[in-house]
Amino acid sequence: MDIHITTPEGTRDRLFAECLERRQVQEALVALFRRRGYSQVITPEVEFYDLFVQSGNPMPQEAMLKIIDRSGKIMVMRPDSTAPIARVAATKLKGLALPQRLYYDQTVFRSGSAHNGGSSEIAQCGVELMGASGRKADVEMVALAVDALRACGVSGFHIEVGHVDFFRTLAGRLDLPAEEIERMRTLIEGKNYAALNDMLAPHRSDPACAALARLPYLFGGAQVLEEARALAGDCDSLDYLAQLWTELEQAGYGGFVRFDLGLVHQIDYYTGVVFRGYIQGAGRPVLSGGRYDKLVEKFGRRAEATGFAVDVDAVGSCLQVECPRLELVIHYGQGMLARALEVLDAQAPGTCELSPCRTLNSTMNLAREKGAPRVLVLEKSGERWLEV
Amino acid sequence: MSERLKIALTKGRLQDKSLELFEEMGLDCSPVRSPGRRLIHPLPGYPLDVVLAKAPDVITYVEHGVCDLGVVGKDTILEKGGAFYEVLDLGFGRCRFALAVPRGSDFYGTYKTRRLASKYPEVTRAFFEKKGMDVDIVKIEGSVELAPILGLSDGIVDIVETGATLRENGLEPIEDVARVSARLIVNTASMKLHKGQILDFIGRCQQALDGRN
Repeated sequence: MDIHITTPEGTRDRLFAECLERRQVQEALVALFRRRGYSQVITPEVEFYDLFVQSGNPMPQEAMLKIIDRSGKIMVMRPDSTAPIARVAATKLKGLALPQRLYYDQTVFRSGSAHNGGSSEIAQCGVELMGASGRKADVEMVALAVDALRACGVSGFHIEVGHVDFFRTLAGRLDLPAEEIERMRTLIEGKNYAALNDMLAPHRSDPACAALARLPYLFGGAQVLEEARALAGDCDSLDYLAQLWTELEQAGYGGFVRFDLGLVHQIDYYTGVVFRGYIQGAGRPVLSGGRYDKLVEKFGRRAEATGFAVDVDAVGSCLQVECPRLELVIHYGQGMLARALEVLDAQAPGTCELSPCRTLNSTMNLAREKGAPRVLVLEKSGERWLEV
Repeated sequence: MSERLKIALTKGRLQDKSLELFEEMGLDCSPVRSPGRRLIHPLPGYPLDVVLAKAPDVITYVEHGVCDLGVVGKDTILEKGGAFYEVLDLGFGRCRFALAVPRGSDFYGTYKTRRLASKYPEVTRAFFEKKGMDVDIVKIEGSVELAPILGLSDGIVDIVETGATLRENGLEPIEDVARVSARLIVNTASMKLHKGQILDFIGRCQQALDGRN
């Protein structure tokens, strides 16, 4: 009886064009990261569950794929690369001078909900700049994010930048208990205009209220910074973003950078500038990152850090990658292997293959079956081309 | 430059109410009202195409970005969740989510684990989790009222519109779980990529809704 086993929910076999797309994106990103001075690290696919829980990873525990080892300890399939790299930076790289520029090109695993069409295996390429705080590091990171999507060859994309302190400052001006602020944060994150208005109605007289109610609308070009200032008055985070914008614009990145002051996700994890990348045609962000200054010191070495990850397959699916077609089958006789390989290696990859058949007749049938238009016959007596 | 956006409407009552609202906004909805065999209905004079779908599918389409906008009940949003912007309460399709039990029964007056039947197991779970109560939840696809009558459950969590069906079956609502109405939802990437167009649409909706009050 034939064995009949499919792949587990959330996993898939990736064939041909999907592999080329993934490879193309990975190669473009890795080349860029290396050029910008980043060195690769590879961390284990399996780590202790505690690593992610104790470091304050915002991921819900049900999203992690768990394994129990022989001693009874709980392990997870790496759900994220940043916490493991922070662990490495604070321990094994303790002796190295900061900042450290690190990149990774590895899969993370997240168990999504069933039948959602999403994959549990997410190929990510990302960077972490550890031990650098301040505007120059943030500018470098946003510029790198733009260059990353540009290097992948996609068009119609932009990077959207926010700052977690803007929301924190505004919320701090209202006298509200922590759980109310959290509820307000989720409403702003979900751009839930109506419910946010209802929630803020009792505080209408407070000047901070107008800016908070408007927060879900404060996204778009650099003019939103002006609009925000008009509503919120002086605010360090707005000044910071304005300076960031000036530098990015001067460097020629203005056309790719926008702002969303309502980017308030994972606010306990991020400590400053946050950003996301969107491409025309992808229904969700394809790049996500920001500043996380408190993570590395949890592992024993103080290092302010920023970084981002690119969802490789989400970018890949926006590319038009075509699989090469088989153009030529080589039929070679006794003693002609070297010549056959020489011809084969000179062709574009994927367009030519050797025939394993003994007779020319079988080779012709093979070429017909595979749709190759031509056969090259290599024999001691000479070479000839045949049309199929 | 304005590209056509797609909106998914929940079939049935919400669809009719949505079209009424769109017409108040000055949109010509005749292609949706006389659909023929087409599945996608472009509105003349406004860059919007309408598709009709079952409620959970509206969320799926919007979440995956194949539709930019959607109209769906809060009940489905609570049950299914998902990553999208929930921008407006459209005010129609109002009803309540309630816990209903057989008339006269004392649902909370026991230490026995209670069993609930519902089409909305997630909403039910979250509701009792907040109370710190362990309950058994049985998912029912059709008439949920039948479950307590047959002795399958001690109560139900369901949408209550008039309460007539409950009354006729000897049930009474004893507690509100949530207020429900139709919501306008937006795909997160579309919001960013088509800001002007989407805010224009939201603004028109808001204006029409304000005009009603």
